[in-house]
Amino acid sequence: MWKSVIYKEWLKVRWFAIVYALLGILVVGYLFLKVQHDTTFNQTNNYWYLILFKKLNFYRSLQFIPLAGGLLVAIAQYFPETVNKRIKLTFHLPVNENKILLTMMSFGTAILLAAYLVFTLLFTGIAAFYFPTDIIAPALVSLAPWFLAGFAGYYLLALIVLEPVWKYRFLYVLTAATIIPLYFENGPAAAYQPVNLSLAVLTILLSIALLFSGYRFRKGEM
Amino acid sequence: MSSYAIECKNLTHYYGKKMVYEDLNFHVEEGSILGLLGKNGAGKTTTINILNGFLQPRSGECLIYGENTQHLTPQNKARIGFLIEGHIQYAFMNIHQIEKFYSGFYESWNPEPYWELMSKLKVTPKQKISTMSCGQRSQVALGLILAQDPDLLILDDFSMGLDPGYRRLFIDYLREYAKAKKKTIFTTSHIIQDMERLIDDVLIMDYNRVLAQQNVNDFMRSFKQFYLELEDPSISLKDEDFVVNIEKVHNKLEIYTYESEEFVKSFLEKNGIKYQAFQNVEMGLEDAFIGLTGKY
Repeated sequence: MWKSVIYKEWLKVRWFAIVYALLGILVVGYLFLKVQHDTTFNQTNNYWYLILFKKLNFYRSLQFIPLAGGLLVAIAQYFPETVNKRIKLTFHLPVNENKILLTMMSFGTAILLAAYLVFTLLFTGIAAFYFPTDIIAPALVSLAPWFLAGFAGYYLLALIVLEPVWKYRFLYVLTAATIIPLYFENGPAAAYQPVNLSLAVLTILLSIALLFSGYRFRKGEM
Repeated sequence: MSSYAIECKNLTHYYGKKMVYEDLNFHVEEGSILGLLGKNGAGKTTTINILNGFLQPRSGECLIYGENTQHLTPQNKARIGFLIEGHIQYAFMNIHQIEKFYSGFYESWNPEPYWELMSKLKVTPKQKISTMSCGQRSQVALGLILAQDPDLLILDDFSMGLDPGYRRLFIDYLREYAKAKKKTIFTTSHIIQDMERLIDDVLIMDYNRVLAQQNVNDFMRSFKQFYLELEDPSISLKDEDFVVNIEKVHNKLEIYTYESEEFVKSFLEKNGIKYQAFQNVEMGLEDAFIGLTGKY
């Protein structure tokens, strides 16, 4: 039964997920091509000065990549369910409605997690050629809220897409527009360390938001 | 334990301040095929949505196999096959993928009738459902329901978008299947001739009330249309107790009633109403439906 749910979700997102993963890998590659370029063609001393003392975020190009992935997977997964109210078919399956929504959400989370893991491993692996751990570790701390933003964007867009009433969708968009910037406050490397845990808790809480839209749909809100 | 597959009690629903119906009561016997007929806006889709748990009525309840439709258990949902208006299915799948998907949910899944229907379609194995014609999609949706082998089938406007050939194929398959396996069907359709071929019982709804619920043959026997031409066109019969509905153009009258020809003639004679060209008009279900609910 659960295999069937996962099968359907995979059919919906597979091409989006594959193309997104490839694009993400290209962005990570581009990032280090730029590092190579800057250290080779600009003054190396100057570049290291910026990294060490000005806390330059050499990985800035990655900033919105996780969020783009979250939005893409949410659209791929939930938009087909709302066309012609196909979500009725999903709710009619012999499974508890909340459980099936949570399974769909967990699948999307797993896909994002897999993509983000690939990006992080690639980033860490290539960065090890250029930088010592003292630079890579704060970089990873800085990347964390961006990845969390990807999950938060995914959960909030699921809530918005599944919501049956446009007026409520608009309210959710406003809510999302207030929450998402929290993950993107600019700062030097590792500046987010004190709040990463809080952002993680907020993100986990957002993960069940789609149940509310599902509930409203089942009650016949229109 | 009741033998009702569906039982709706004191059902009341409003959209905002607009009443759809109040204290609606009806039931569907196990093993019967019931057609729900009503004009646009009479509450057919509202009823289907309540039955499937997609709409909470303002008050009252519907039970399917004794369970409130707002809280159907997965075991009960597995007993119900649901056809959404327009034969909606997961259009991003092909016929193999969709069969594989659904087969994982139902213990008694029997793919044979599905593949039998699919063999009649001229579609390629990898063709997405989204690229199929409405008729082909209807066969996919029907095949999936038959493979699910549910005890109760709820069909929302199954004839929508189908050409006459596919409609006939759909009905013939469905009726044979339901009768052979003693299944219960609750269905709506805009095309009433289709219903005539399919249903055992009829439930006719008008705005906020049930006009008739009975065996369709009994209904067709008891509900009659008489045509006559009055000598004095100013006479009005519409408020008489025996008249269910009347259509009048100048002196030409169509009287719809549950009373007999003798009763109507004797009424006219007793009241000194002069008429000519009296006819007992044969009706199909569509004529009877229009006669009962009126043209407007």
